Order: sequence, then structure tokens, then C-alpha cells
Amino acid sequence: MEATSKFSKKMVECSLIDKGAVKPFKPGKLKKSLPQWDKDRCIKCGICYVYCPDGAVQRLDDGYFDVDEKKCKGCGICHRECWFGVICMVEED
Amino acid sequence: MDKFSLYVPNFLPCKEYFEPKKNNACPGCGISLAVRQTYKAVETLIEKAVWEKPASAKATGSLLKIKNGKNEITICFDNEAGGNLDKAVKKSMPAVAVAEGYKYVATASPSYPFDLYDKMKSAIDTDGDAYIHVLCPCPEEWGFECENTVKVGFLAVESNAFPLYEVGTGFYNQTIKIVNQRSLGDYLSTQKRFKKITDKQFKKAEETVKKEYAKLIENSQPE
Repeated sequence: MEATSKFSKKMVECSLIDKGAVKPFKPGKLKKSLPQWDKDRCIKCGICYVYCPDGAVQRLDDGYFDVDEKKCKGCGICHRECWFGVICMVEED
Repeated sequence: MDKFSLYVPNFLPCKEYFEPKKNNACPGCGISLAVRQTYKAVETLIEKAVWEKPASAKATGSLLKIKNGKNEITICFDNEAGGNLDKAVKKSMPAVAVAEGYKYVATASPSYPFDLYDKMKSAIDTDGDAYIHVLCPCPEEWGFECENTVKVGFLAVESNAFPLYEVGTGFYNQTIKIVNQRSLGDYLSTQKRFKKITDKQFKKAEETVKKEYAKLIENSQPE
């Protein structure tokens, strides 16, 4: 395992860790927009589920998808990646 | 295993393993996306996993070490943040890993989830240590809209700046073959961090990409 420890030392140089450049994101400050599905056109492909970074997209019992509002941060990746443009982002009140 | 019977997540397990109590990641975080996909692939092995640097709010370039019996899988989630631009050439960590004698080395991107999933599975099946390097776009540091995370990941691969390949005992494959290659400018122009790049630097970067890619093609096996 000696080789591994030597390797991880080298790796830390590449994996740039905590130089104070990145501020922690505080959810709740931003006014977020939530995705909404147009069920008439949705083909239930599930690309929104695969690409959600926070695991906020959930499958309903009827096969369509919906968002968990507590987990969603409103990044809009699902809106961007949807092949049919079914998802639109609606701003929260 | 309970699986989706749908078109896209057909090969993924239904169960969500990535459920942090406090998720401090920015919206559209590439690391968060890659970690979630990784957790789905390694499933129950994740209970014994150790983060080299904890994936806290300031998760930048973190290492995940997973014990798989005698062997160990090391995954580097690299978001290239905080990098010193004066250091022109970034070290190619997969190349170092191959030289260090890892039995399975691969590069992956969260924009290609099934490619990433397959590589994690092959890493688990490998008899020996494995290393996987994952490029995670970071909207905050790279300077693009948070909805474009997946798109930028695609551009990195399509412009050959970050080719996806795997190296094992007896094989050296390019897993995603790009037919219509995009120019490097397409990739760099999406990000604000390359706003001040000069023509000279751009040409140098283009040459480096070309050289690295030629090396990869030379090493990889013909069909």
C-alpha cells in the first residue's frame, strides 16, 4: 500500500482543496424557481431524473416525474436537458 | 434489484443512496451530480467509503476511497477550481495512476451517466486497485449559468479537452468516440474563467489538446 500513499500525496496537489475561493452556498437566500412538467407532452423518458444533481426529481406512481420542493435548488438542469422542452421553470412566490 | 422500466434510467437502481442531511452544494453543482451517480453505481459498498477531504460546503476536488474487499477504489472528483492559471499544464492524473501500477484507470464525466456507471462497475470487478478521474463542471468557479453544467461537460468531451477512456490489463479503450469534433473555442467561450485568455495562450492550449489526443489514439487499440 506504500505506492498508494505516495500517490495520494501527489494527488492532493492536483485536487485543489479549500483555498478560500469558494464560499459555501446558503440555500434560502435566493428566490428559486421550480420546474413544472407539461404532462400532455412528457414521454416519461426520465432524463430529468438522471441529471438532477440533488436527487430532487422523483417518479410518481403513474410514471410521470415531479419535484421534491425541499430538495430542489432551482438550477434548471432538467429544463435545459429535457429533449422535448416539456419542463419550464416557474418562479416561486 | 428493483429497476426502472423506462427508456433512460433503464439501467439504474431505483434506490437513492445519495441523501445528505444538509446539502450545502450550489445549485447545478457538478460534483453533487457525479457523486450521486457514483453512489448509485457502488450501492452498498458506499458504507465503508472514506472521503479524503470531507465533502463539506467547500467541496473542491475531493477524493473518495472505497474499500472493496482487499482492493481499493480511488475516485477523484476534480472541478479544477482554485487552479493557478500561471501553471500552464495541469498534471494528467490518470497517466500518473497508470505509471503507479493501478490495475484499472479511467476518466469519466457526469454528462455521460451510463459511461460513468459502467466504469464504476468495472472498477468494482477489477482484481486490484482502481482509479477513476471525474471532471465535474463548477458553475461558481468556472463562470457559467448553473443550468449549463451538463452542457459544459459535453463540450469538454466533444472538444477532446477531456477524452473519456479506460486503461486496464490488456486493454486501452476510448469509450466515447467523438465523430464531429468541436473546436476548443466552443468549450472555452462558455466559461468566464477563460475570458482574459490571449491568442497565444489559446494556440498553446489547442496544441496541447491535439498532442494529448494524438497520444491517446496512438495508445488505444484499433477496432
